[in-house]
Amino acid sequence: MSEGGVPAPGRRRSHHGTSWLVLQLVLSGSLFLLLLLPIYALFTYAPPSEILAAATNPAVVTAIWLTLFASGLTVLAAILFAVPFGYLLARRRFPGRAVVESAVALPIAVPHLLVGLGLFLALALPGTPLYRFTNAIGFPVYDTIWGVVLVMVVVSVPYTILAAQLSFQAVDPRVLEAARSLGAGPANAFLTVSFPLALRGIVVGLLLTWARAVSEIGGILILAYTVYPGGPYTGPVTSTISVLVYNLFQAGNLKDAAAVSTVFLLIAFALFLIVRLGERSGWVPWRRGDLIP
Amino acid sequence: MTHWSVEGVESHLDGFRLGPIDLTLTSGHVVAVLGNSGAGKTTLLRTLGGFLPADAGRIVRDGVDLTGRPPESRGLGYVPQGLGLFPHRTVERNVTYPLEMHGRLDARARSRELLARFGLTDLAHRYPARLSGGELERVALARALAAEPELVLWDEPWQALDVEARHELGTVFEELRDVSRVPVIVVTHDPGLAFSVADSFLVLRRGSPGFHGDPAQLLTHPTDAFTARFVGYENVYDRLTLQRGSPGSLAAWLLARAGPGGIAFARPVALAPPSHRGAWEGTIRTTFPAPEGLAFAVTVEDLTVGLRVPPPISPPLPSVGDRISFDVDEMNVHPLENGVDSR
Repeated sequence: MSEGGVPAPGRRRSHHGTSWLVLQLVLSGSLFLLLLLPIYALFTYAPPSEILAAATNPAVVTAIWLTLFASGLTVLAAILFAVPFGYLLARRRFPGRAVVESAVALPIAVPHLLVGLGLFLALALPGTPLYRFTNAIGFPVYDTIWGVVLVMVVVSVPYTILAAQLSFQAVDPRVLEAARSLGAGPANAFLTVSFPLALRGIVVGLLLTWARAVSEIGGILILAYTVYPGGPYTGPVTSTISVLVYNLFQAGNLKDAAAVSTVFLLIAFALFLIVRLGERSGWVPWRRGDLIP
Repeated sequence: MTHWSVEGVESHLDGFRLGPIDLTLTSGHVVAVLGNSGAGKTTLLRTLGGFLPADAGRIVRDGVDLTGRPPESRGLGYVPQGLGLFPHRTVERNVTYPLEMHGRLDARARSRELLARFGLTDLAHRYPARLSGGELERVALARALAAEPELVLWDEPWQALDVEARHELGTVFEELRDVSRVPVIVVTHDPGLAFSVADSFLVLRRGSPGFHGDPAQLLTHPTDAFTARFVGYENVYDRLTLQRGSPGSLAAWLLARAGPGGIAFARPVALAPPSHRGAWEGTIRTTFPAPEGLAFAVTVEDLTVGLRVPPPISPPLPSVGDRISFDVDEMNVHPLENGVDSR
């Protein structure tokens, strides 16, 4: 074999590695810049003094509080209802399971105005049975916090259901069998093995649910455009942060719209950052036992 | 003294039929369950463990019928394939798990004692992901024994273990048998360790019990090609292969002595030419060193036969292409009762 013609295997590999790395950086970098673009524009449009003013404006504070409160209730509903639902889909075989799975994912796939319209027709038209029922038990949905929560739940819990389903499916059934034979009944095996092992995926699902809930506008525009006091909400007449920004934009008040958006972005970013840092520092329970240091 | 009896247990699952299985076990007794992949070994353990329903028969411990009981109230230590350790619990908390589940107040003391006994004290606070194969096996065993089970069911304990870890586990197993005196049913593919720990063997063939007896019997009376190969017979032939031989050939000679399932024999000693002359002669295809000396594969007409030269081996060594002769002792060929699995 001639000496000079064929590159040494090591050199060839590193050459390949470099171009591959450059390609990865270019593709990921350009996407990352695109993701940052609206955030950058929002942050720089309004001067810091106006952002500060927005952050302390009582109307904005009320809207933020409403949004966080309603999305918090949504996450609570996801924990109570969507996690068991995901477990059911992961562990049980029943007729029509494929239909149920497809139906669960549907609210993610359709425009959320449709979801809002559907809920409006079912619950907010005077005279319909569900309208009378929800009013009778003290949960009127039209232009109330319950309407906000309802829309948020419908459009965002599928993320938790799917994440919980996948996480429970990923738990090795043999580990569960070992737990059972070692003395754990079905409930104990769930609490001590299935749930802790699936927790990390469930938390990711809950984060997605929360993110989807706070960013919801389509369904809310129809069902709860304005939120009047009632139920757990006792403050002044307000709206969710998404509707507030939409209203400011419609009124041509771009600076205030950008300032309010910036305040909300900072809050959301801080929440995600706390979770990630918590994971990295290892104090959160769902990473324990991982191979990754 | 615990006494287990498995009486005519059957399990039917997706067209697969296991059983009827009959077994008896007492303290300190180890049964090895052998068989091809898909023979029903794991199904048997899972049926005994209560994870699959027994469609017929009874599982009785000291006169108490456990057949319908859920897994958690059978008093078992089940070690599934892959060990089934809890990845989110440290070694110590894996071992305390059964004690917590049984509400034992001495959980910490008991787990410390077990950790010490299996050499795991220094690893108590590690997670399973950070342990070696041999260490994981010891954790699984310590955990299975923690709540003092009446029976240990262990599926493929030596899977994917290196040679050292296998040896180590063999020692642990002997201790289990001689000190803890817990009866064990172990499913395995590993002949060496199965022979070193098992008092009796149960061979499954497509869900049905084949051979059931002690190691000596298994060695001298292999019932089918699988068990013959498992116990180490190098030369195993079915009738079809032997029927291809011409009259007067080695194949024809073996066919005359074969059972319905064929025939098996250990490697005959190769006779060094020219001083010795055996009844049969073949051409050397491969040679390789083995613990019992030098091993050969030779072809005799269409038949490949394994031979050996016991130590001390003196040059000149036979090499590939050489002709070599050997005898097959009529006393040492074993007719096989059952045909090969035709799946």
